[in-house]
Amino acid sequence: MATDANNPSPEDAPSHDPWQLGQSHRKVDAMERMRGITRYTDDLKLPGMLHAKILRSPHAHARIKSIDTSKALALEGVFAIVTGQDFKIPYGIIPWTPDENALAVDKVLHVGDGVAAVAARDEDTAIAAMRLIEVEYEVLKAFFDPEESLANTDRSLSINPYGRKGNLSKRVLLEFGEVEQKISGADLVVEGDYFFEGTTHGAIEPHCALAHVEGDMSKSGILTVWSATQVSHYLHRELSKVLEIPAHRIRVIQPPLGGAFGGKSEPFDLEFCAAKLAMLTGRPVKLLYTREEVFYSHRGRHPMKMHYRTGFTREGKITGVDARTILDGGAYSSFGLVTTYYSGQLLCAPYEFASYRFESLRAYTNKPACGPKRGHGSVQPRFAMEIQLDKAAVALGIDPIELRRRNNLGSESTTVNKFRVGSNGFSECLDKVEAASGWRERKPKLPYGRGLGVAGSTYISGTNYPIYPNEMPQAAVQICLDRSGRARVFSGANDIGQGSNTMLAVIVSEELGLPLEDIRVLSADTDLCPVDLGAYSSRITLMVGNACMQAAQKLRRKVCAAVAKRWEIPRRRVALIARKALDLENPDRSVPLREAFCWAEADNGLLGEVGSYNTPKDRHGDYRGGTIGASPAYSFTAHLAEVEVDPETGIVDVKTIWVAHDCGKALSKRIVEGQIEGSTYMGFGEALMEQHVVDPQHNGVHASPSFLDYRMPTFLDTPKLEAMIVEAPDANGPYGAKEAGEGPLHSSIPAIANAIYDAVGVRIDTLPFSPAKVLAAIDARREQEAAGLVPEHKSGQTHGRRSA
Amino acid sequence: MLRLPPFRVVSPDTVEGVVAALQQPGARLIAGGTDILPNLKHWLDRPEVLVSINRLTALRGIVRDDNAGVLRIGAGTTLTQIAEHPDVQQLFPSLAQSAGCVASPSIRNMGTIGGNLNLDTRCRYVNQTEFWRGAIGGGCIKSEGNVCHVVPKGRNCVAAMSSDNVPVLMSLQAVIVQAGPEGTRTVPLCDYYHADGTRHTHAKPGEITTEVQVPLPTSARRTHYVKWCVRKSIDFPLVSVALRFDLDKDDVSATISAAHVVAGVLGARPRQVRKLDAILGLALNDPKVAQIVSEAAFKQCKPLANVPYETAYRRRMIRVYTRRGIEAMVNAG
Amino acid sequence: MSEAAFLLSTTVNGEPVTVAAPHHWTLLEVLRYKLDLIGSKQGCDKGDCGACTVQLDGEPVLACLTLAAHAQGREVTTVEGLGHCHGGCHPLQDAFDRWTAAQCGFCTPGILMSAEALIRKRGRAVEHTEVAEALAGNLCRCTGYTKILDAVVDASQQMHPAPGKE
Repeated sequence: MATDANNPSPEDAPSHDPWQLGQSHRKVDAMERMRGITRYTDDLKLPGMLHAKILRSPHAHARIKSIDTSKALALEGVFAIVTGQDFKIPYGIIPWTPDENALAVDKVLHVGDGVAAVAARDEDTAIAAMRLIEVEYEVLKAFFDPEESLANTDRSLSINPYGRKGNLSKRVLLEFGEVEQKISGADLVVEGDYFFEGTTHGAIEPHCALAHVEGDMSKSGILTVWSATQVSHYLHRELSKVLEIPAHRIRVIQPPLGGAFGGKSEPFDLEFCAAKLAMLTGRPVKLLYTREEVFYSHRGRHPMKMHYRTGFTREGKITGVDARTILDGGAYSSFGLVTTYYSGQLLCAPYEFASYRFESLRAYTNKPACGPKRGHGSVQPRFAMEIQLDKAAVALGIDPIELRRRNNLGSESTTVNKFRVGSNGFSECLDKVEAASGWRERKPKLPYGRGLGVAGSTYISGTNYPIYPNEMPQAAVQICLDRSGRARVFSGANDIGQGSNTMLAVIVSEELGLPLEDIRVLSADTDLCPVDLGAYSSRITLMVGNACMQAAQKLRRKVCAAVAKRWEIPRRRVALIARKALDLENPDRSVPLREAFCWAEADNGLLGEVGSYNTPKDRHGDYRGGTIGASPAYSFTAHLAEVEVDPETGIVDVKTIWVAHDCGKALSKRIVEGQIEGSTYMGFGEALMEQHVVDPQHNGVHASPSFLDYRMPTFLDTPKLEAMIVEAPDANGPYGAKEAGEGPLHSSIPAIANAIYDAVGVRIDTLPFSPAKVLAAIDARREQEAAGLVPEHKSGQTHGRRSA
Repeated sequence: MLRLPPFRVVSPDTVEGVVAALQQPGARLIAGGTDILPNLKHWLDRPEVLVSINRLTALRGIVRDDNAGVLRIGAGTTLTQIAEHPDVQQLFPSLAQSAGCVASPSIRNMGTIGGNLNLDTRCRYVNQTEFWRGAIGGGCIKSEGNVCHVVPKGRNCVAAMSSDNVPVLMSLQAVIVQAGPEGTRTVPLCDYYHADGTRHTHAKPGEITTEVQVPLPTSARRTHYVKWCVRKSIDFPLVSVALRFDLDKDDVSATISAAHVVAGVLGARPRQVRKLDAILGLALNDPKVAQIVSEAAFKQCKPLANVPYETAYRRRMIRVYTRRGIEAMVNAG
Repeated sequence: MSEAAFLLSTTVNGEPVTVAAPHHWTLLEVLRYKLDLIGSKQGCDKGDCGACTVQLDGEPVLACLTLAAHAQGREVTTVEGLGHCHGGCHPLQDAFDRWTAAQCGFCTPGILMSAEALIRKRGRAVEHTEVAEALAGNLCRCTGYTKILDAVVDASQQMHPAPGKE
């Protein structure tokens, strides 16, 4: 039988207990980052390097009547200027929706849209030159509200010139089962409107790109682009398309990255501009965004207006879910086609329900484009769904954790939208947060103002299909062993700080017995590494991990065989551990790995193997769109938040968030914990304070394009985060591993909302839970209580209640 | 990266040298730089020369001058040094609080008290890049334009005095020493500000603040500073109230003989809350005190939409935080 | 354009440095682009994130809001100099490595400079709450801060073992 990573043969099973998996490791690349040696993109410097800046639109929606760059070009120290006329081929991360240009060709679509780019000897000169570029605009009516935008019928005001349906960017309507019947026949119907505010990634490293040309680009020259990207392969493809250069003459290198969270997961204007300017000038060109420009590039979380109807039986079983969602997409599609599907498709676990309908509409608006932020497309519906469940629990008098248990989809199951779910540790996640928080004993006793709230969620471990259709592997890894006793791992995957290079080293270490320090991971360089699709959709551990495991296992077999041959024992008796090959039945007998590698090289020639991974194709439905959102494996999470709400100020003080996450198998314990903590923190920030909005009263300018006004939680704001790992190994994951980097964000937010309800009896169905909003809700409840319309919340527990 | 506009830097080592350097056209003073440099990175001004007090070591330090009855704080003293100084903590706890809650620890290590008292006024429509101000239609009366985005049709700039220390030092009746081409003069801090966000201090051209003199307490008193902002660090205040109550003996049940309540982050000038006579003669721990003072603050302080937060909420919180500040003093004993 | 430069004489990580710097450059720009000390990072442009934190005469300051001229004659310590007295690796760096307290690592140099000053000033092992206060101007977007707090406390305990313990 053929061996593949999805179905390891018995021969591939480790013949000894894991020696690395599940331990805590020092990351392979952290120390040099902490010593200030690592070169991120802006830390690179090339001889003769020019600096570029992008002139941006001050209008939210305008036609470009003319651009005059002559005065700017005449400025001393200016080398070249490009405009939209230099980039007429549109691109887009999703091949079906190429609706943006590197610089605006005829129209600008939001404040901050790129119009022209200048390369000069330094940034000061480039800035001075930008001031000399004369752009004449014809200002058009701008749309800042998605519904108003969708209602527009005047085609001359359609926002995106490539849009085919006016200001409708994408519509998805899917129905499974008899929704109307199941909901109308339910014992309880919970209906609610929710609004998820836009938020952005806030990686501390701003986007930066450096381009360099060797040789004559009109003939055989090579263009190298270093970019702070999390998708070097897609960037490679789009550079080739827009610049009309064959891909084999472009090299994309992703230097170590200073955070991304989805904000660097597609090409941006700076990469095209730096490349084109380098081609025009023959000199290296660097382009670094200001923080304000990062806010304009955005691609953050879509604001979503959501209307939910959910039916329940008396026992709390969900009978059906009916969702209608409007996505505020901003000026470009970005990943929006996928986001629109995800807003419905990713809701169908961890709960089982027999009927489901969702309609999602994505509108173009004159704002920075929205795209994928950690938990792409599914954090928003999760917020609505988990509050719906909490409302049902209250109405039915069922404990919210118990209600979730009763609806648990379970393992080896199929969702209502026909996704096949493998392992599922959701129930254990609930158990863990329940026990750690003291939910049962403490919740009934908490005074007014203090509350506990729970929520659950799921996420994908990679998408089943790549962004552009093809049947090639989704991930590939090449490993070489050499006679110094070292492994070199070549992977196209983007380590964006999440630790994927270390994850690969841990797998190689586990399989080949090398300590991590003997393993070099060389990643995300399109000249050196096999193609990988990049760091998005939480795909790397499962997909690249599988490919890596496969390659490493092939090498292990060769090395073990060479040792077995010399010791004249069966290969199964040889184990590779702690820099040694040893005889499992005679542990005193061992040989240093370095020597074992030499034996294997003598027997086989150079020791290099490749591994690749493709997804199983039986995980999804066969309806249109039925592949979008399907994944080889799903992670599960439960969050439980404890809050103190000040009824006089409306301030929500989140004390502790307990979070249990089923990652299948934690390959490296602390890294997984860090992902769980970081995700939970990010959700907390969105819940309490973050808002990515424009100001419609002031021409649609960004309301807070800085880290002063876009408030992200500091050390002092962040609650105590208690991360717990749950392991329900999945047959599709390497050693059972699933994702950990995005799932643990989702339910952080509704857990806090539900805790606020427990504390003070108010539902906050819109983000963020700002003091002013919470206080207004408390006031409203007080009025209703005074009028006898609702009972006094926690009437038996008056401690902490403000006098009227 | 946001670029500073080109300028020259001079660093005289005497006050006279600084004053002389400030006579040059287009000269501006720089102390810690934490206020002026972000503003210059936003190209709110393009000075030709920055006159640095970096080398004026004489302007640093805190000295208790019992003869003059003041604590002398050199204008170049950092906010960290003030917050951590034992005399400040003991004599002026509200000042230790306000200096210790400005922005972030690193900014407090850099920012000076002189700079903080001369902090430029702030507004959501001003403290943005030149590009951004262009996008709203060419700035406003405080920057490149001639309109006000906070008070439509307003002709007076209402940018907010956002210093944490100014309300406190006003409540402590501090006096500042200004050195200028015509010599030095002292100005009571309460008279230093006026209600024009484009030019909100009475500093004369070419003047530098060299010292803050805080009168030593002559009676028992309680002081407190209350600040609210969204985050517990980095942010400018959104609600800011300084409280001082002079007492006839050192006990919270003692009678109030004088009250000084000053609120910041309203317009360009902090507001001294008036009409507090009703509490004179009451004990500080009499619940009526907190009620009367917070109600007066609420009535007299009207936040504007000049800083990024809802004004109605901020106004309501002035009452809450003022009352809580008084309760905190009482509870501390 | 007037781009007057001056000769900046300063001490960087214990070594005297003289370098020509434009007047309007910040210390961060001189460190990164003149001296190639790229460990100090630029995240927010203007003092809102703390990634550029260095020490000036031992005090953590924001290099992006420090005029290069203000470093004249003073001692600048950057993350590159942190390990100098510790055989190349400061106990904080070691603790951060053990705790996986650096994910993307971009904010880490600034955090290390703030944390080092705290432990040095306290001269003893530190507690979580005082670490959070000292680091309150340093944003981290990856970690949720948890492991950073643990690592700083751990490092301070390594540097100042409790009496009776080895």
